[in-house]
Amino acid sequence: MIFKQLIRPQIKLCLRVFRKGLSTKPQWEIITGVCVERLPVVTPPLNDIQKKYKEFLWTIEVEKSLKSDHEIRHENDKIQAELLKSDSQDVDLDAVSKITAQDLEDAATEELSQFKFGSIETEADKKGDKTTTDRCLQRHLVLVAPVKLGTDVRTILPQGKWQEGETLRQTAERVLEEHCGKDLKVQFLSNAPCGFYKYKYPQGSRTDDCIGAKVFFYYANYQGGAVDGKEKKFNWLTRNELKELLPPKYNKSVQEFLIEESW
Amino acid sequence: MLKTLWCACHLAGNHVLSLSTPTAINRNIFTAPTLQFKITEQLCAEPLKKKKKMDPAIIKAREDRRRKKLEKQIRRLEKNARQLKPIDELEIPLNVVDQIGKRKRPDVKLSEQEVEARALLQKEWSRYKRAEYMSTVAQIDRIMGAQKRALDMLYEESEDLYNEAVMPDLKLIPYSIKGPVATPPIKNYDSPDGEYIDVSKKWIN
Repeated sequence: MIFKQLIRPQIKLCLRVFRKGLSTKPQWEIITGVCVERLPVVTPPLNDIQKKYKEFLWTIEVEKSLKSDHEIRHENDKIQAELLKSDSQDVDLDAVSKITAQDLEDAATEELSQFKFGSIETEADKKGDKTTTDRCLQRHLVLVAPVKLGTDVRTILPQGKWQEGETLRQTAERVLEEHCGKDLKVQFLSNAPCGFYKYKYPQGSRTDDCIGAKVFFYYANYQGGAVDGKEKKFNWLTRNELKELLPPKYNKSVQEFLIEESW
Repeated sequence: MLKTLWCACHLAGNHVLSLSTPTAINRNIFTAPTLQFKITEQLCAEPLKKKKKMDPAIIKAREDRRRKKLEKQIRRLEKNARQLKPIDELEIPLNVVDQIGKRKRPDVKLSEQEVEARALLQKEWSRYKRAEYMSTVAQIDRIMGAQKRALDMLYEESEDLYNEAVMPDLKLIPYSIKGPVATPPIKNYDSPDGEYIDVSKKWIN
């Protein structure tokens, strides 16, 4: 029994090797595609229910809180002002502060209104420039590059052929460097591919031992640096832009392993 | 009991010893069959000595000394035990504790409508969060499925590449990531209040 269990995987392996040797299955080229994604820099906008609930939590927070130093001071100021008005004798003039809490609050509000937060809409957004990562800060961006496929050039995820003797992960790293230069810093998240796409070459360019390509996608996070591609056109695209640009089937395979944006 | 047995053996000893060999002619004076118990070991035995009684005071003193020693050790351990890191944020400042009556807000009286509206909002929120959770789980499933499919395809294509691909990526750890922020950073911003330095006390664990 134990022997049977031990031998079973071996038999399976032998059978598979045997079958592989026998069959004249069409050969596919192994290609590695790299999906470099810039994660959102800024949190996505709140939707209606989120806004409502946030407000609700805030009111509860205030209701349950104790009064702050500032509020106490403000109340004291009010009492002092009343006393001053009624001209009572026992007003300690030293105790009446020159700067009231209200004054402080006004000054702070003034300062806040002077301050300008960083704008969510960047220069690139205004110009419609898609070649930089400094755009659509609230969304995920995916790098696409012009890739030569046979005779024509298509804009898809950077990809390249696997070479004998390297792992797919190494292929992915090499392919990315070949396409984008050494400045681009990314972090690959796994040794394993995260997605798969298969396509057949057009009839003319098919050969006997190779009828198509199997693309294994690797996922990496953008960390910094710029893409070195003055003459080439690299674009950082949002999910919707990807959908418009990529061929439908390819797009489906790519979006299959990406986080969906629900807004 | 032991003592009586010993005496009995002693008395019967000579006869039984001399006659127990099988070659000897049975000239036993006893009519009963030969006794089958061994005698030599029993002969070596002797009545147990009476246990010396100890003075209860001495025992108590010893016990006390032992306990004191243990207590001392425990005390030493406790003293050296690592101090727990206090959580400053959870400790109410003393001046606030003093003025707690003054700082209390008047109780809010909610109208019935308001209470109802709040309850409804809570319910709606939990429904929303549930839907969000379900979609998150579905997304994770989908992404894992995509990876599994890719790995299956890779296995079909080349087993070696598959084995390489399923190896853990050791360079990934330690991994750190800075989450999304509420507003984008301002480029070349010079803080008017100077640089932020964390002065909170460092605790060595």
